[in-house]
Amino acid sequence: MKPALQQDMTVAVPSNISMRGRPAEAGSNALTGYTAVEDATVVRRLREAGAHLRSSACVGEFGFGLPVGGAAAVAPRPSAGGAEAVDGAELLMDFMGESRLAAAHASIYGLKPSYGLVSRFGLIGLIPSMECCGILSGSLNTIGEVLMTVAGQDGLDFSLPEEDAPDFSPREIRPEEITIGIITEAQSMAAGAERSPATGDSRGAPTPRGAEGFRASMEELRRLGFTLREVSLPGYELFSLVHRVVGSVEASSAAGRYDSVRYGPRAPGAKNWNEMYLMSRGAAFGTLIKSYLIQGAFFQFERYEAFIDACRIRARLVEDMRRLESEVDFFVLPMDDGPAQEVRSGAGVPPSLAGLYESHASTLYANVTGQPALYLPPVPGSAPTGFQLTGPRLSDGRLLDLGRFISESWGGE
Amino acid sequence: MEFEAVIGLEIHVELNCVTKMFCDCPNHPGDQPNANTCPTCLWLPGALPRLSQEALEKASLLSLGLGAELQPRSAFDQKIYYYPDLPKGFQLSQIHLPLSRGGGIDILDEDGVTRKLRIHHIHMEEDVAKLVHEMEGRLPVGLVDFNRAGAPLVEIVTEPDFRTPYQAMEFLKTLRTRVRYVGSSDCNMDDGTMRADANISIRPRGTDQMNTKVEVKNMNSVRHVGDAISYEIARQTAAVQADEAVILHTRLWDPDKKATLPMRAKFEGPCVPDPCVPAIELSPAWIEQMRTRLPEMPTERGERLTAQHGLTREEALSLSADPEVAAYFDALVARGIAPRTAMHWLTTQLIPAVRERRQDLNTSPVAPERLAALLDLLAKDEINANAAREVLVEMFGCDEAPEAIVARRGFKQISDADALDPLIDKVLTEQARAVADFQSGQVKALGFLVGRVMQASGGKADPKVIRELLDEKLGAG
Repeated sequence: MKPALQQDMTVAVPSNISMRGRPAEAGSNALTGYTAVEDATVVRRLREAGAHLRSSACVGEFGFGLPVGGAAAVAPRPSAGGAEAVDGAELLMDFMGESRLAAAHASIYGLKPSYGLVSRFGLIGLIPSMECCGILSGSLNTIGEVLMTVAGQDGLDFSLPEEDAPDFSPREIRPEEITIGIITEAQSMAAGAERSPATGDSRGAPTPRGAEGFRASMEELRRLGFTLREVSLPGYELFSLVHRVVGSVEASSAAGRYDSVRYGPRAPGAKNWNEMYLMSRGAAFGTLIKSYLIQGAFFQFERYEAFIDACRIRARLVEDMRRLESEVDFFVLPMDDGPAQEVRSGAGVPPSLAGLYESHASTLYANVTGQPALYLPPVPGSAPTGFQLTGPRLSDGRLLDLGRFISESWGGE
Repeated sequence: MEFEAVIGLEIHVELNCVTKMFCDCPNHPGDQPNANTCPTCLWLPGALPRLSQEALEKASLLSLGLGAELQPRSAFDQKIYYYPDLPKGFQLSQIHLPLSRGGGIDILDEDGVTRKLRIHHIHMEEDVAKLVHEMEGRLPVGLVDFNRAGAPLVEIVTEPDFRTPYQAMEFLKTLRTRVRYVGSSDCNMDDGTMRADANISIRPRGTDQMNTKVEVKNMNSVRHVGDAISYEIARQTAAVQADEAVILHTRLWDPDKKATLPMRAKFEGPCVPDPCVPAIELSPAWIEQMRTRLPEMPTERGERLTAQHGLTREEALSLSADPEVAAYFDALVARGIAPRTAMHWLTTQLIPAVRERRQDLNTSPVAPERLAALLDLLAKDEINANAAREVLVEMFGCDEAPEAIVARRGFKQISDADALDPLIDKVLTEQARAVADFQSGQVKALGFLVGRVMQASGGKADPKVIRELLDEKLGAG
């Protein structure tokens, strides 16, 4: 029996998650005028559980990546952190870590559930094998309730595993029985960010925010009595490459259905319907998405072998994570929330794929492997950023228990 | 120099499933345009494909029926190309990991030798939408009908084992029979549930080189496949002899011109694994269970009919070519009808009568038990063959038992010597000349006398009994 949601919980739903009868433009010109014909499973389940559903806008086209730094500094923030998110919850499509990053910007909690735990039916996506519905809230209990409400098979998404949804009933966390892994390579990447101005912009001396937040989190976990063990994942730096190659190839196919012909604005002036299709697609997408789709098409048409290599590396990374999971119960990872909070002199520079991938560098791993990942904000004043916790696929319930234990020890809920 | 052809076939078969391949829409492409559509087969944002279990089973049965080996793991790929009949930009097809591999069909070749023509692999794929080009006033418009989009197909790709048009035609006929047997498709080339493309190249006889091939499409009968291949072999041979290069391209068969004509080069896009349709894992137990669902196949059935019932090879093959006919035959024999009688009545009386009435053997009012009852009356000499044919005609129009029709129409045969005696005596008296002829050695006269007695009985007398009585009387006389 699933416990009901709190009375009158408000959940914000962006326009790339289908709500029957509501415009589902997903922040893209290609979907202008398109109205969802069905409820996404997550929406239907929340509605049935009595949630108040509120619309939220998509930040960026298709909600793909959070604009960070540069021009993005003047772009609207995700509404996460607004009153609704603190009291209620906000859903966010998570392609590359958006829900953790948005949570970090708003200093609230953000969960990316395990791949296959929550139905993707009705999500207007781009990267089918990596995307899922993320959940943000100022309360981990709320995230837990929302997750319990939306998780599990629906008969509409065949990628959900046959087994039952994991057990969400809260269980006691005994720190002395729990080992948390620290991935050496992830740590040094965060440390590396301190040393090199990765974007080459006018950043001056970079704030070692991620590394500092991470050091503080490790100290805190030790203080709480957890055993920390350093483990090695030699391919860690490949997560970004794998995501970019596989993600763009999938997007290049997936965006085909957003044809801007059956909905969206058709390009005028074409001589025949082939030309009309091509011109409409050409006009429909924004620069960032277009460069992503073209990159994917490049791998499809010209570098298929490189794509297959990326798929192999992905399988190996998943396997390596599995292997580490036999040594530790959970992992703690740094959260580099990028320079979003600081206004950059580069404002006005159009967002680039490179910039997008750089700002999500610390969150990509979970979208590549399908693991659950949780962002925990720091104790106010104690550290500049929070950190991420992750665990085996479908361990979402345990991961929330762990997060709750840690935040309660800080005087949270 | 003498040339030989190297031919491979690619055969699309539309599965006769109730639903489409990735959604629950009815698989009826011929309905009102766009009546059978949903967000999934229209590929609207947010919809996800869900592979139909029925399509998987029918494609698996088809594979087993053609001797192919089901693969423990197969998966769907996106065959990427763009056209208005495929607005999502890719077709779901199994390019890298097909459902089954191997298999083949034995055909009886022109020279009387049995040859195995091998299958390379069999894969599932979805059909695309149908484009209709019309004029709205003076404005040309392109319309898209999505009823066919997502219809379940399999593609059978053969090895380049074929050398002659005859082999290709025999292969297609046998394939059609076998697929109909397993019940996966009707395989009609005229309504498009079976479509065959041929890849044809030529080489000097006796060499094993593989030369540039030409693909020929648009043949909508087995005969057209043969004609198109013959034409293409002649065309390529002439080209090579004139020192012209054969270029890789696609041609369309024009049945009116009886020629293949070049079509615009087709764009061949890449294939990437589809991330939405989960890989298909088939356990040995599942495959075994499918195997138990296979019916007895035509070749095996033909052999059994020859061995068990003493039919000739030709008779057995003609019965087993159609699973409905073969099942009907088995049902008659199971009810005690002599195999040869069953075959004779089925092929010369019942099937023509069913066709004439545009009925199906399966659903015709003359079910096997009714025909068996009729043939039983015939076997017991209660009616003669003429009466049986008339009763059969009546059986199409009513559901009375054959016995009842026989009684009502008074067809019951007179086999009783006492009843026939007076009739025979009367005929012998009236036909003294014929009697004399017979007695002077003209055997034919006996048949004439039998006919007269038959006539006198109103067609009801048993000719065997008449003959016996006549023999007796004339021999004695």
